[in-house]
Amino acid sequence: MMDRLKTRWIIFGGLFIVVTVSYLLRIKFESTASPEVQKSFTYLEELPEGSVIMVSFDHEASSLPEIRPLALAMLRHAFKNDLKIVGVSLFAEGTAIGYRLLTETAGESGKTYGADYVFLGFKPQQISAILGMGESIMHVFPEDYLGTPTDEIPMMRGIKNYEEIEMIVSIADGALTVHWIEYVGGQYDQPIMAALTAAMITTYDPYLASGQLYSVVGGLKGAAEYENLLGRQGGGNRGMTAQTTAHLYVITLIIIGNIMYFRARKAGRE
Amino acid sequence: MDAGVIIAGILTLAIYTFLYRDNPIYKAAESLLIGLSIGYALVIYWQTTLVDRLFTPLFSRGELNLMVPLILGLLMFSRFTRRFSWLSRIPIALMIGAGAGVAIPAMLYARTLKQISASVAPLIGKGGGFNFEALVVAVGLLSTLAYFYFSREHKGVVGTAAKVGTYFLMVFFGATFGYTVMSRMSTFIGRIDFLLTDFLRLLA
Repeated sequence: MMDRLKTRWIIFGGLFIVVTVSYLLRIKFESTASPEVQKSFTYLEELPEGSVIMVSFDHEASSLPEIRPLALAMLRHAFKNDLKIVGVSLFAEGTAIGYRLLTETAGESGKTYGADYVFLGFKPQQISAILGMGESIMHVFPEDYLGTPTDEIPMMRGIKNYEEIEMIVSIADGALTVHWIEYVGGQYDQPIMAALTAAMITTYDPYLASGQLYSVVGGLKGAAEYENLLGRQGGGNRGMTAQTTAHLYVITLIIIGNIMYFRARKAGRE
Repeated sequence: MDAGVIIAGILTLAIYTFLYRDNPIYKAAESLLIGLSIGYALVIYWQTTLVDRLFTPLFSRGELNLMVPLILGLLMFSRFTRRFSWLSRIPIALMIGAGAGVAIPAMLYARTLKQISASVAPLIGKGGGFNFEALVVAVGLLSTLAYFYFSREHKGVVGTAAKVGTYFLMVFFGATFGYTVMSRMSTFIGRIDFLLTDFLRLLA
């Protein structure tokens, strides 16, 4: 029992040291944008000024370390290109986080609430909310997150439903993006872009291959690549350096573990 | 320093004490996290669903048609009494019926028809060249289906195809596991970033 605990302490202690040192020494690894990240960036880059995108914060607070750099990079890019953002949340925990991320990035770009962006808040029963917005966004969200009637918000006056929205960006750590793909992509022919935690990437690969999902920006790696394209370093690049050194550490442990296993097996035979 | 940062820093360290061993400090932080998450979700649901969509329109604006969902919702609580529990079947039947009606066509289209059409790509590309990716998809699809085909013993051609299918499955599981490790590592790195930058202020 004690040996197992000691092994665990060594492994986790080592990981802690590796990650901390890579942060303190500021080791830098070069990374080039993957085709998917490039596709997402190019799409937002080429959208005409004043185009409306809907950003849905479909995630929990526990995935914030991975979601935050992703969301910040994409929101900064959208505001930089003078795109208008309609923020919503289909996950209760994503509500306050979504509002905070939007106001933070809008503040950096000098954008005004109600004119350049709006946050409509949370709506339960995701499928009915998603389908309802296809008819009328104002009907699903009669008030915004701050309690202002939606029809009194200047930006929302010209936005009735998905027809006025160029792209839906679902920032998710679970299966909620599937609802956007199935109901909005399928029924309203609306393009969907996803910003996902790394753990969810393989789940969405079939949708990406079939063209039901326009593009994916995934995990800290995706965030780092997006930041590089944007020309503004942030949490993605900082985290990716630590991620790379941590992976090297894990690979080393796997090799050591295998050597120990085969040596023990050989000794057992003898 | 912001009080929120101090509390978050202490709670982060409290959670990581689990790496030493299970202990009361970890348990307290874990309980706090669960309690806060449930409490927050409950408040959001109460406000956005019951207050905004039901109580305010019904009792302040007199929209009496909302009595229907109110009564249906209340019928769900009939499950707590043995005598009237059958009444809860009414809202449940409505939910299942409406849910299935909405979901089945959408899922059939998005998860089945679109996926099948994407999987059956021509082996000769538009430029006349050989489409190797389409071949890999075709072999992967057929061999994986063979692995899950249990009406015939996995011998001969079916056995070989099933064996190939297991390799495709292993590649998928490996990729998924790798991404999951990456994701969990990112969460850990995010907390280290917070501790070094905001809590300890060792980094600018």
